[in-house]
Amino acid sequence: MADLKTLVVGRKDAVDLDVEQELPHELMTVNMGPSHPAMHGTVRIVLTVDGERIVKGDVQPGYLHRCFEKESEYATYTQVFPYTDRLNYVSPMINNVGWAMTIEKLLGITKQLPRRAEYVRVIVSEVSRITDHLTCVGASAMELGAFTPFLYFLKCREWLYTLLEEVSGARLTHSYVRVGGVSKDLPVGWTDKLLARLDEITAVMVEVEAMLNQNKIFRDRMAGIGALDREACIKWGQTGPIARAAGLDYDVRKDYPYSVYPELEFDVPVGTTGDCLDRYLVRIEEIKQSMRILRQAVAQLPDGPVMIDDPRVALPPKTDAYNTIESMIRHFKHIVDGIRVPAGETYAFVEGGNGELGFYVVADGTGRPYKAYVRSPSFVHLSTASTIIKDHLIADVVPIFGMINMIGGECDK
Amino acid sequence: MSKKVLDALKAKFGDAIEATDDQHGDETAFVKRDKLREIATWLRDDKAMAFDAPVFATCVDLLDWRPVSIPHTPSTNTRPEYDGAGPRFEVCWQLRSTTHRHRIRIKVRVTEADPKVASLTPLWIGFDWQERETFDMYGIRFDGHPDLRRIYLYDEFVGYPLRKDYPKEKRQPLVRRPDLVGDH
Amino acid sequence: MSDTQAPPPAPDTVTVTIDGVAVTVPKGTNVLEAAKKVGVDISAFCYHPGLSIAACCRQCLVSIEKNPKLQPSCQSIATEGMVVHTKDAQSTLARKQMLEFTLVNHPIDCPICDKAGECTLQKLYFEHDAADSRVDTPKVHKPKVKDLGPNIVLDAERCILCTRCIRVCDEVAGEHQLEMINRGDHEELTTAPGQQLDNPYSLNTVDVCPVGALTSKDFRFTMRAWELDATPSVCNGCATGCNIEVHHKNGRAWRLVPRLNPAVNGHWMCDEGRFTYHELREARLAGPVVGGLPSSWDKALKAAADKLTAALKDPGAVAVVLSAQASNEDNFALAKLAAAWKAQVFATGRPAVPGRADDKLRDADVNPNWAGVKAIAAAAQDLAALETGVNTGKVRVVVVLGHDLPVSATAHGRLREIDAVIVLATHDRGPAKDATIALPIAAWAETPGSVTNRDGRLQRMHAAIAAPGQAVAGWEAVVRLAQATGVKLAWTQARDVWKDMTAAVAPWKDQPWGREVRPMQLRFAGSRG
Repeated sequence: MADLKTLVVGRKDAVDLDVEQELPHELMTVNMGPSHPAMHGTVRIVLTVDGERIVKGDVQPGYLHRCFEKESEYATYTQVFPYTDRLNYVSPMINNVGWAMTIEKLLGITKQLPRRAEYVRVIVSEVSRITDHLTCVGASAMELGAFTPFLYFLKCREWLYTLLEEVSGARLTHSYVRVGGVSKDLPVGWTDKLLARLDEITAVMVEVEAMLNQNKIFRDRMAGIGALDREACIKWGQTGPIARAAGLDYDVRKDYPYSVYPELEFDVPVGTTGDCLDRYLVRIEEIKQSMRILRQAVAQLPDGPVMIDDPRVALPPKTDAYNTIESMIRHFKHIVDGIRVPAGETYAFVEGGNGELGFYVVADGTGRPYKAYVRSPSFVHLSTASTIIKDHLIADVVPIFGMINMIGGECDK
Repeated sequence: MSKKVLDALKAKFGDAIEATDDQHGDETAFVKRDKLREIATWLRDDKAMAFDAPVFATCVDLLDWRPVSIPHTPSTNTRPEYDGAGPRFEVCWQLRSTTHRHRIRIKVRVTEADPKVASLTPLWIGFDWQERETFDMYGIRFDGHPDLRRIYLYDEFVGYPLRKDYPKEKRQPLVRRPDLVGDH
Repeated sequence: MSDTQAPPPAPDTVTVTIDGVAVTVPKGTNVLEAAKKVGVDISAFCYHPGLSIAACCRQCLVSIEKNPKLQPSCQSIATEGMVVHTKDAQSTLARKQMLEFTLVNHPIDCPICDKAGECTLQKLYFEHDAADSRVDTPKVHKPKVKDLGPNIVLDAERCILCTRCIRVCDEVAGEHQLEMINRGDHEELTTAPGQQLDNPYSLNTVDVCPVGALTSKDFRFTMRAWELDATPSVCNGCATGCNIEVHHKNGRAWRLVPRLNPAVNGHWMCDEGRFTYHELREARLAGPVVGGLPSSWDKALKAAADKLTAALKDPGAVAVVLSAQASNEDNFALAKLAAAWKAQVFATGRPAVPGRADDKLRDADVNPNWAGVKAIAAAAQDLAALETGVNTGKVRVVVVLGHDLPVSATAHGRLREIDAVIVLATHDRGPAKDATIALPIAAWAETPGSVTNRDGRLQRMHAAIAAPGQAVAGWEAVVRLAQATGVKLAWTQARDVWKDMTAAVAPWKDQPWGREVRPMQLRFAGSRG
């Protein structure tokens, strides 16, 4: 055989390639992100891998840090609303509502909001929750190779964005909610359009579930991947769909009810294993529950004002502001000084698209917050990532990351 | 939110609880720095307390704290104006109990000259990144934290931006210093 | 159970009860001030603690027991056992109605009014009334852009007729230049017959005006009040040393306003002092200049070192000129360096303006710190001796602090021929213009420091804005110069200089440096005036 080898390889000292050889197995450092199609919202993961298997992952957020807290200290309470839009930017209404609720708690006017304002807030929050889940599921499916559900879901999302644009004037950066209510009423006929769209979205969801739920490739890549059990979820401070997928039955809307949620009937889907597939299923079910809430809220929507009738909190109508000195002064003091919140501090929280979204605000009696800290669920969830991806393959990082649904704006503030 | 958590803390730890506060339904306990670990462990392990879930960890910088009163409006504030002499930072942690549904905020006051406090990450791993963020933004050092390094900002950054004396408009050009950077 | 009795109240005090809270105040205090002591804010327009009582606005009406009618609290002197209610229905209604009445004819000018953001009418309406208007009649019109004098413009529609400005002119300036004419709806502010509003304290009327009726021509339409930060300091216009606030934003000073100091200037300052902020931005020296060409600190210090080291071999060849325009710290640092060099020490300043002195605030000495210079370097000679030294050729290097060198033309000519004139200056004028080496230093509003006024009072100034370009504090420039010539002055911050200075100068012993003051944003002030 040696002659054949010499013939083939052309050298006398050729090594016999049939013999088992030791392949070198040093660990390799591979960089994922921050510019990476699957790292939504710019996150960098420095992976130390042994072949395809991850030995260690160092998750480095902060590439989208835009100094929300520092800027809030120099803005009036109403000027912070555009900043909150840009936190979880796929469900901005919920951030707006969270901030408004915190300031209302400090002012002590939580129970004095008009009923219509509360219902409108719930309606737009749930629409935002649906857009959040549609984006998360659609994008994650696309990263696993399923392009069609992504486009279908984005079509649905665009319907909802168009509806929210009619309400607030912008697809994404709404700044719609105000302390004491919302800035303007829903347009005439909007609720009918919303109900029609919900029916259309339900039909699209049937199609997408048919494409994904029993799809072997999808299930193989998602089931059993990235599991975090219930105990670990509690220790790690996980909330929202991730915790519920692990069996932890915690939803702020049910456990610490706020606004008019006690009057609406809905269920909270809870999974068992906490792996990526369960997280996906929980999100799909939550979309359906949100639609259920929306149908009830639209049916129960009362008439009335959408802003509290308190001159210390509400801006005067523009016609008055331009024509009487009293309203002009009131308008002026609101814009220049801001809503003066008595000194104190509090922590208020809502169920965001990703979990418990809270604001810890310290007020000092002026119209600007002294400190405005955001308890962002994505930040807390992303901290588990380096533990979860251990011993998975590099390719598993994609569904794990997608199902954690780390929104860059919320994580990095 | 039940007051019995604060009462139980005061009963068990006496003077280690420097003060308690209850604003807008949020119970807060100011604890002595050297007793923090002990109190936190009891809060987690005691059956009646059972604070198993971490919520957030952050810090308040009191340097510019000059509260103003609003006529005809009462305030819940108990903190006097900062005089430059007392502790400048209040490090806060918020905890939640999954079983009993109550919440509590623990605060430790530290001075600018010695901004160190025990880390609660060994007790609740969920505080890991939030303590890193507090270190990054305020310069509070957490003893016992497994990996205390900057999280949002790059390693070469000088200063602690959320402190009140860091000017908002200040810019720092990034000059790469490989000798200062970690393992990458 | 207390085991000590409360001490009996001092004999010249009275105890009154305001809204159920007892407070003890000195005899002669009015109810409005007594209420402030317990944190009760009774609104008022025409009352000002530095002026006489007019009680014309009726905004401060309160209920005082045993009086059937509401009483103006600014005019009611607290008497022993008086019981005052400010939150009862009657006083609250009176307050709201008074504001409603004031606003009936008030023009809707907030977007274009300078006082917006620091307007007392805005503040009181929002805090005490906040109700809608009940009348729909056309508002009374009055002249809107009336030139009252060289510095002030009147908008008569905004005027709420509180007469504070009239009292300022009469009592603070001592000249009757403003009056009210007409009656009722048509009452209007105007200048007294044959007069203009041109007294040297006229801009105080703009400070005390609770609304935007009187506006300063210098400041109007330049900056919005709520955006400004306030830093306390001391006016450097003359030896009185009125306490001021520098209002600044984005590294630039926009106006100076007086700060209360009962011992020095009360609530007031003169107009000329207010304008001294303009020169902070005029013709500033931003970088070192060597031989008329821009240079760098390293090169300038090296050039200075060369000239100085050569000259220092000969005692008396180096002359150091201190400045009464500069702060105590700068002068002390340079005096210390002069002592290390064994150089001759002179002192100078701007020449006095005799016609300027009056019996109120203005002093003939337009230098803020002659008292400081004399305390630091009692043996400093005047410039006549310097001239002799320069003319005879004995003095070969002159180090000048500041930019006043009032010597004769011959001496100026000689100065161009000696080895070097090294100037530590803020502005590019005077001796800095044709100096051999000019080193840029920070002005009074740009670095912490102190000045000593005509009464020997040591007053701290705080840094409000940043020094331009490469300018550093005067004492720091001295430290660098010292290092270049081999003298070690171990100061790294102004506080270190202060410590050595107060130890060395006897009348200032044990004076504390105090706390570093953070600039206060004017949004905290709520209203000024």
